[in-house]
Order: sequence, then structure tokens, then C-alpha cells
Amino acid sequence: MTETAPLRRAATQRPLLEYKHVRKTFGAFKALDDISINIYPGEVVCFIGPSGSGKSTLLRGTNGLDPFDGGEVFFDGQILPRKQSEVRKVRQRMGMVFQNFELFPHKTALQNVAIGPITVLNKDRTEAEQQAMALLAKVGLADKADNYPVNLSGGQQQRVAIARALAMQPEVLLFDEPTSALDPETIGEVLSVMKTLADEGRTMVIVTHEMSFARRVADWVIVFERGQVLEEGPPEQIFEAPKVQRTKEFLSHLGWA
Amino acid sequence: MTLDWSIIWLNKQELAEGALMTIVLTVLTMGLAVPLGIVLAFMRLSKWRSLAFLSLCFVELFRNIPLILIVYWSFYVIPILIPVQFSAFTTGLVALVLCVSAYNAETFRAGINSVRQGQTNAGLALGMSQLQVMKEIILPQAARRVLPILATTWVSLFKDTSLVSVIAVGELSHVALQIRSQSFRVLEMLTAMAVIYWIMGYPQAKLSDWVRKKFEVKE
Repeated sequence: MTETAPLRRAATQRPLLEYKHVRKTFGAFKALDDISINIYPGEVVCFIGPSGSGKSTLLRGTNGLDPFDGGEVFFDGQILPRKQSEVRKVRQRMGMVFQNFELFPHKTALQNVAIGPITVLNKDRTEAEQQAMALLAKVGLADKADNYPVNLSGGQQQRVAIARALAMQPEVLLFDEPTSALDPETIGEVLSVMKTLADEGRTMVIVTHEMSFARRVADWVIVFERGQVLEEGPPEQIFEAPKVQRTKEFLSHLGWA
Repeated sequence: MTLDWSIIWLNKQELAEGALMTIVLTVLTMGLAVPLGIVLAFMRLSKWRSLAFLSLCFVELFRNIPLILIVYWSFYVIPILIPVQFSAFTTGLVALVLCVSAYNAETFRAGINSVRQGQTNAGLALGMSQLQVMKEIILPQAARRVLPILATTWVSLFKDTSLVSVIAVGELSHVALQIRSQSFRVLEMLTAMAVIYWIMGYPQAKLSDWVRKKFEVKE
């Protein structure tokens, strides 16, 4: 079979995120070993790969929560600063959704969504709460606005967390295994919200084990193993005709062909 | 043996003043030991090693010697250290504050540390500063966990104020023991003391239980 991979549609633009020779070690363990990849505006990119392959580490370094040891990241053409005070400005432009939701338990769903704009962007409270209400409606939780996280299901909490990230009007959304901590029956509602966001043309980077979701929604899939990029390509290539034997093995291990 | 309970009634004025003094001591001690404990906790968590070490020394010193020793120590050592004549009341208050602020420092530190790192990350990811994360995310959650422990400390402190009687601070124990040694009505006075402490202490203990239930963190 001599089929060439379809051209990466968005690749004619300047990358929104550009990783150059990124490295990170934990002791003797190379968590990230010379990663160089691009994320283009409007793309949905899924990071897949076995546990411990470095995909979450790469995501968490992107907004400086867990800084890299070497290499560079460019966000919108600007190098990611190392100083806390400067990296803050960049974080405001990236939304992050965590595996364990990390909603603030002492605040209602509405307050969770409004707190970013209020404290970070100095928005007027009423305005911020109106916006928060609209975002909760968008993720289908307008009726839960006054609930505390403890009274929400995992799927509902994660949808509030997505609304919280959206409230900052980020240029890119980073998802760190957003459905891994969920009960099977609530995974669908979170994925469907994410699908809606993808359809709006948002730039999204998603670390996931949901292969069928990646197959369906991603524009580009990057496979990681042992801190390196094993293979990258459009989902058709990765899932139907992977070029690397290890990708095949990883996917068949998960029950994919 | 005949018991003469009238001794209590005869000395009701003194006992009431002693009881009031016990309450005043408790309130003042906690009023000072809470802010001091917060300062010590932040020193301990600070990235400046020398500040953290200073706080560690203070806490581990005063947390690990018996309060009664701190009371005696304050009584004899403070006049040598600083050329100011403190009243017995001030000396007793200083001793209690030293001890309780060491406890509170540990309480606050544990409370702040008990908030998951993920919560800090969530705040930072929104673009908050460290200070905003502390104020908006960490402290409100820490406070809920700290309050029940402070309530327990309060109940202990209320009873422990009796220890400053050894340097003749006129709180309930001192007053009652004085009356005992002047009247030789030992059993009556000790019983009266127990009853008065219990009547005042029981509602506080109940209140403390209520605080613990009310602020229990549900996650």
C-alpha cells in the first residue's frame, strides 16, 4: 500500500504551540526525550500512548505547572517564559481541564466558573456571573448553578470544570485525561461537550485513552512512548494504517484491530 | 465528717470574679495566639529557610514542654530578660500565649498543607498569582478544617488556664484554692471548683462538637 497521509490541513499557518526539543527527567527516568511537535490553530490534537509515556507531562509543562528541563515551547510565536510572574500571563490564555476536575469545593458551580474572570481579569461580579451562567447553560448545567461540587456527579463536575476553563476565553484548551476518573455512564456527557467545542473550531489538546473519541474528533493524533513521539498523523492513518509497528501493538492491546 | 457548703455562698463574689478571670484569660490568650499562630505557620511555610527554621524552633520548644513549666519559666525568666515588671496576670497570659500559639501554628500549617496540590494547580492554571491562590482557594478551605481543631484547643485552654494559679493569677483555681487554705473546707471548695468548671466548660465542649459537625469538609 503506497498511500500517503492526507496533508495536515492547518499546517499552512503559524503553529499556536510549537515544542522544540523538549526534555524532562525525573531522576534517571526520561519522561520527555527530545519532543518536537506543533499544534496549529483550530486543531483538535489527541495525545495517546501507554501510561507513563510522557503525554500528560508534556501537557502539564505547556502552561508551566510542571516546567520542562530543556528545550523550548513557543505559544503564539512567543517563547514560554520561566518566571512565575510572566508565565501567569500565558496561563490566562490557556484553559486547562484536569483528570480529577479540581473544582473548588467551597464554591458553587456558578462561583467556580466566575472566579477566574473576577480575580484574574478583574471583571465586574454581575457581568462575570452572567457569563458564567451562559457557560453553564452551554455545558447543560444551568439548573445546577447553585450546587456545590460535592452535590454533583463526576461528569457534571467535569462539565463545570470545562465551563470554568472557557470563562477565561482561552486560545487553547488543554485536557489532561478528562474522562479517566469518571464512571463509564458519565463519560459520554463530557465527551459530547468536548465534541461541541471541537465543532466550534477551538484549538484543543487532549490527552486521552478514549480511542473511539480520538478517532472521531481529532484532526491530528500523536502517539507517545517512553517520552518520545512514536508516530503522528491524521486519525485515519493512526487508527487504520499505522506506520510504526509499536503503534499497531499499542492499539491492538486496547482492542483496536 | 461534717460538710459546710455555706462557705461557697459566703465567697460567691470572689468565686465569680475568679470565674470571670478564667474567661478573660481564655479569650485574651486565644485572641493573641490565633494571629501569632498564623504568622508562625506562614513563617514555617516560607521559602526563606531562616524564617522557617525560627518558627520550627519556637513551635517545637513550646509544644514539647509542660505548660506549667512555661508558666514558672515566664515568671522567673522574663524579669531577667527584659527590665520590665510584669504583673502576675501578664506573665500568666504570656505563658499561655507562647504555648497555645505553638499549637495553633501547627494547626494552621496542617490545615494549609491539607489542601491538595491539585487545587493550587487549578488556581494557577486560571492565571491566578500565588497570593490569589492562597486567598481565594487555599485559606477558605484550610479555615474549614482548622476551625474544629481550634475549637478543641479552646476547650483545653479553658481548663489549662488553671495552671497559672501557681504564680498567683487570680483566676478561678487560684481563688478557690485560696479560700480552701484559709477555711480548711477542702472537699467543699474542690467540689465547687469542679462544678463551676463543668458548668462553664460543658456548653463550650458542646459548641465545639457542633462546630466540628458544621464545618466538616465533604468532598
